[in-house]
Amino acid sequence: MRRDLELIRNETVKVWKKKRFAVIVLILLALVPVFVYAQMKIAQSSQGKYADWRAELRQRIADNTNALTSDRIPEEWKKWRVALVQQLQYYLDRDVNPNTPNAVRFTNTFLQNAVGLFIPLMVLAVASDIVSSERSGGTIKMLLTRPVRRWRILAAKLVTLSMYVSLILVTTAAVSYLVSGLVFGYGGWREPVFVGFKLNGSNMDTTGVHAIAQGVYMLMQLGLVWFSAMTVAVIAFMVSVLVRSTAASLVTMMAAVISGSILANMASSWHSAKYLFNVNLDLSVYLQGSPPPIEGMTLGFSLAVLAVWSLAAIGVSFAVFTRQDILA
Amino acid sequence: MRGKKDRLWPVLGTVCLLCTALLLLGFGWALKDAWAPSGGLALPSPTQATPQPGGEWTSLPEIKAIAIGDSLTRGVGDVAGKGYVADSLDELSKSMGKPVKLSGNLAVSGLEAAKLNELLDGKAMRDAVAGANLVLLTIGGNDLFRSSQQSGGSIAEGGGIDPELAKRLLPTTEAHLKAVMTKLRAINPSAKIAYVALYNPFYELAQLRPAIASILADWNGYAVKLAEADGNIVVVPTADLFEAQSARYLSSDHFHPNGAGYARIAIRVAQALD
Repeated sequence: MRRDLELIRNETVKVWKKKRFAVIVLILLALVPVFVYAQMKIAQSSQGKYADWRAELRQRIADNTNALTSDRIPEEWKKWRVALVQQLQYYLDRDVNPNTPNAVRFTNTFLQNAVGLFIPLMVLAVASDIVSSERSGGTIKMLLTRPVRRWRILAAKLVTLSMYVSLILVTTAAVSYLVSGLVFGYGGWREPVFVGFKLNGSNMDTTGVHAIAQGVYMLMQLGLVWFSAMTVAVIAFMVSVLVRSTAASLVTMMAAVISGSILANMASSWHSAKYLFNVNLDLSVYLQGSPPPIEGMTLGFSLAVLAVWSLAAIGVSFAVFTRQDILA
Repeated sequence: MRGKKDRLWPVLGTVCLLCTALLLLGFGWALKDAWAPSGGLALPSPTQATPQPGGEWTSLPEIKAIAIGDSLTRGVGDVAGKGYVADSLDELSKSMGKPVKLSGNLAVSGLEAAKLNELLDGKAMRDAVAGANLVLLTIGGNDLFRSSQQSGGSIAEGGGIDPELAKRLLPTTEAHLKAVMTKLRAINPSAKIAYVALYNPFYELAQLRPAIASILADWNGYAVKLAEADGNIVVVPTADLFEAQSARYLSSDHFHPNGAGYARIAIRVAQALD
């Protein structure tokens, strides 16, 4: 046990010294202000146009309803819009503003948009070379000549990776909150958000809808984002074991993640695509109550798919790593 | 060097563990909320918007307008997407010498009178109408002309229109119009309502002219009757605008006005209101 802890400590410090985490923080510090600025511009431009948020919301509902009447828009977009219109209507009927500008709201929206690409990308910055760099750097021989079983070494690396995934997610949320708060104010933790919308065909079932505080929503969203980020991390971990070069493992994973976000937008009629892990990454759609990328996907289904992929990836990683011949 | 390294691990390790615990808590909470939700936050009950103070427009510093109805109010057919609403309000503002502000265009293309009647029960519409001094309205065209399209006929050629069916639809549609007007009045007792009457989009088809003319006369006449009974509704006639040179003022779908057609409607609306 002590020796395992020592291994984890060794790996953690190694990643830290590679300055991977510092790069991630720098990227966040550079990008989040850009998003905050864009959001501020949107808020400013709509401010003069409408008397109050209710008028703006009414107009949004009317505009989206109009888009629905066109025959030319694809069926999936229609479904998405129907869900949006009915949700906005629900907010309006209960006199709750779904768009109050504050740092918590911004962070939630940011996480929602980041879960598909941005967060996987940051996870890959750590995960892609955690094994392959040992190989390309030649240090793997030193690592394996220690009097420790191979699987223990790999397990230490896996634990290290999950620790960094947690750190990255919390840092992302924290940076987003702290930076956007400068502009939008740091409040909004207790503002209500409605969850529990269920889409039945083209009708929104609102029987299960209840209000929760925005802070709780953020925590739940972070939890779901964590699950999908862990899946990406574990699969990248496997690729890093299988592929010798860091660049190749990074490119493989990027291709998988990007193709997932493309597929999610266009594969709604290819039903078996829902068993791919990359289509299931955006778990926050279930929290928002918007229609999933492919019909028939539910929170439980997506979690199960991601879990199966993760377990398989872990299995392959250990099986390969413990048997692999380490050549020069 | 050695000392620094020693401090890094305890701090980093603890922070990472705490982050993981936090995320696991969030994950568990999300699952619980999705599968076994509890009651949720209690919210204050929503407030109803109070109707705008009535009285003469001359005494108001600013006129708030709302546009509701179907594709004509939405501006379908106008390449610029403007329709008649913005222009007529600009014109009105000029002639009255005070700002006329549009607080929203809630028109939905394809809307029928019965559906509008239903929408007026919703909070969105009620609040919007209650907060306005002026309501611009178009409705009925879809009920009478689109519903009487026979299957297979193309509306662009007008070939599919069945005037007999449109005639049969008149009584129910008129009842819906009356219900809409009554509801608008109930929500806002003092707002002025401008109803833009129907025109014959198939004027080019000579064989349909007499039949549609009689339908339009019936419908528009009914609207005028409603307006007279109310006293604060104006009916803006448009049928004559699209007769002499209908091709010039109708858009490529041969049904909705084009930009120039909407500009003519806008002038009429402004004149009728001032």
